[in-house]
Amino acid sequence: MKAQTLREIAGPLAAMLIVVAFVALTTPSFRDLGNLNNLILQVSIIAIVAVGSTIVIFAGGIDLSPGSAIALMTVVFASAVKLWGVPFFLAMGMTVVIGLLLGLLNGALTAYLRIPSFITTLAALSAFRGVAFMFNNGSPVSQVSLLLEPIFYGRLFGLPLPLYYVVAIYALGFWFLRYTAAGRSVYAVGGNPNAARLSGIDVRRTQLLAFAIAGVCAAFGAILMAARLNSGSPNYGVGLELSAIAAAVIGGASLAGGRGNILNSAIGAMTIVVVQNGLNLNAVPTSVQNVVTGAIIVLAVGIDMWRAEITRFLSVMLNRN
Amino acid sequence: MPVHPTSQPLWELDSVTKRFAGIVANDRISLRIHAGEIHGLMGENGCGKSTLIKMLSGAHQPDEGRILRLGAVTSLPTPTAAREAGVSTVFQEFSLVPHLSVAENIYLGRWPKKGARVDWAAMRAGATRVLGEMAIAIDPDSTVSSLSVAEQQMVEIAKALASEATLLILDEPTTALGLTEIARLHELLRRLKAKGVAILYISHRLDEVVDLVDTVTVLKEGKVAASAEESVVSIPFIVKVMVGEVGEHYPKEHNATSEIVLSVRNLTTASRVRGVSFDLRRGEVLGLGGVLGSGRTETARALFGLDPHLSGEVIWKGRPVSFKSPREAIAAGFALVPENRKFDGLFFNFAGFPNLSAASLDRLGQHGLISLAREAETGRRMIADLAITPAAESKTVGFLSGGNQQKIVIGRWLFANAELFILDEPTQGIDIGAKIAVYQLINGLTRAGKSVILISSDHDELIAMADRIAIIAHGQITAIRPASEVQKTDLVLAAGLGAAEEAA
Repeated sequence: MKAQTLREIAGPLAAMLIVVAFVALTTPSFRDLGNLNNLILQVSIIAIVAVGSTIVIFAGGIDLSPGSAIALMTVVFASAVKLWGVPFFLAMGMTVVIGLLLGLLNGALTAYLRIPSFITTLAALSAFRGVAFMFNNGSPVSQVSLLLEPIFYGRLFGLPLPLYYVVAIYALGFWFLRYTAAGRSVYAVGGNPNAARLSGIDVRRTQLLAFAIAGVCAAFGAILMAARLNSGSPNYGVGLELSAIAAAVIGGASLAGGRGNILNSAIGAMTIVVVQNGLNLNAVPTSVQNVVTGAIIVLAVGIDMWRAEITRFLSVMLNRN
Repeated sequence: MPVHPTSQPLWELDSVTKRFAGIVANDRISLRIHAGEIHGLMGENGCGKSTLIKMLSGAHQPDEGRILRLGAVTSLPTPTAAREAGVSTVFQEFSLVPHLSVAENIYLGRWPKKGARVDWAAMRAGATRVLGEMAIAIDPDSTVSSLSVAEQQMVEIAKALASEATLLILDEPTTALGLTEIARLHELLRRLKAKGVAILYISHRLDEVVDLVDTVTVLKEGKVAASAEESVVSIPFIVKVMVGEVGEHYPKEHNATSEIVLSVRNLTTASRVRGVSFDLRRGEVLGLGGVLGSGRTETARALFGLDPHLSGEVIWKGRPVSFKSPREAIAAGFALVPENRKFDGLFFNFAGFPNLSAASLDRLGQHGLISLAREAETGRRMIADLAITPAAESKTVGFLSGGNQQKIVIGRWLFANAELFILDEPTQGIDIGAKIAVYQLINGLTRAGKSVILISSDHDELIAMADRIAIIAHGQITAIRPASEVQKTDLVLAAGLGAAEEAA
């Protein structure tokens, strides 16, 4: 079992380590403790959102909505605490419930009304942000609470708190996918929904569950996002859904569904963030960074797709010698 | 070389052989087709008909032998080359674009042009002419999706003829047609024949073939069993040639008891099951014989909770049941091995164990958890018991042979400890060794007191492996008899004639 996990994460992990080594060697400031700390904070939100996005992908769907869902939830959360006088922790719980409901909405439209998830979540991408602008006249809500910032910037045993969240959520995701019947059903439904149905798996309920999980992950992302800037804004999270999907894909998740290891999404998220960090430190403009991120996605998927050809090529080369 | 008495053949296959991965699909087949002739091509599934058609339509190349056109050796390296040589093939699945007009479809991909633009007037005129020549009353401007299946079939043929085809190959053109539509199609084919078009006609419907064709070639196991020169165009002759000798080994065990476990009474669904009644005993194999679309698969689907019941009763172990989903059927101990294991059976993203345990996730542990240790333990036992390749443990099932894949799909239900096994074409597309393994598996099931409903188009297999056979046609069981009293000719006839009745 452990051997299997190692085998599954070896490729993406090796790729990430090569990227890290390259950046560390070429950019001395990368190795600063302050920068490494910053790196963890940067990766945490993407990595946590990616857990949900990846589970949806495993189930054979796609979720384009978490960026907008996060904007909506930061606004609601911030308004609740600052403008409506909702107790802080109750507002946090409320945010998680809202995330769950948004996920269930995506899931119900996809699973029960049979609208492809690309479409339902594309609609949600537009609509959720629209709703976010309906609060507080579309203005950000800032200076939310003194309790908020420590959630993101706090430390435990010298390490930033978000690192613990990421580890905990990935551990939970890993456990869910490997050791529960529902987690196995996610892979089965993503792999072959017909066969899943004929094996007695409730395909629709499984799809609904995947989106519900994605909604809850987005809620966690929203709380961290609000804590990071002590505010809520309808402009937060633009493009975050794509970073999360990119993390999953760089980690080797098949967009056809049914295949992949959740841990690789954290590795994929880390790879993206390290590259961006390295480019930042070398004062490469954002425009170029975006192009590089795009190239990494193509390369990561390409290497996966061409695996057979690469293996054949290598074996031919070895036999020749 | 034998010469046809009347004229030089338009197309001739001369001792053509085609192999796939060592299996001989066509073994020294010779066939002559003349202009103005309707030539029937008959044979059971897997006899090599499709391979033969594909060589004539340029999709496959013969390994040995020659293809001659008007006596000259020719080659058809691509489908385009075949079309240019005048061969047009209408396959079972239409190649029409539903949202384009009839005229656009007839000239699909070779629209008449005026400069860079499509010459609509010329296209419409051409389509009208082609349809007129065939005496087909279809408006060339109507959208294909608005036409009936029979009309689409006509458009498909018009499309073939618009490309100046001199040989028209029709592969099972009537499967989707009713009797009157078949009559219309035949009328059209006779008109084309009168115009000198050669037609190669493939169908399973014996009566229809006998009615239409001038001559018939019967294939069996990749060889010509009766050439056009030897054949008599009559049902008894064709059946005799097709059936031949039953030469395979079936390790049948008789384990049927007298205890009835399943009673089906007047089961009717919206999908072709019209009042099916039968009993199934503990340890019994009940064979369901009949053609595709006769209601065999639909009966299986209805029992398994896939199609809702309109009326009728199903009594399982003394208790009336009506499953609304496969989930409920599985919980009661039912198992369905689907006809299409690739689309409906296997998880290609999984290796052997998760494929085997897929129907048992609820039972692999408590509180929604799955015990991987128990899964591996039972999985290993299945792999050993069913003699599945050990590679199944680590490799995803796409890497396994068809036989191993099928054993895994059946093994899933052993893993789930099912009691009623519905096997829909369980030996389709697997080699003879794996077939025997499946037969032994069936014996193992009945020995353990489980019951089996076996659906098969392989008549030999059905007669050999079933205890009783129910012949099903147009959604009803026409006869249930002990397998020992059923002759293969009964099934071939029931299939051929039942299909025609089905269309009525």
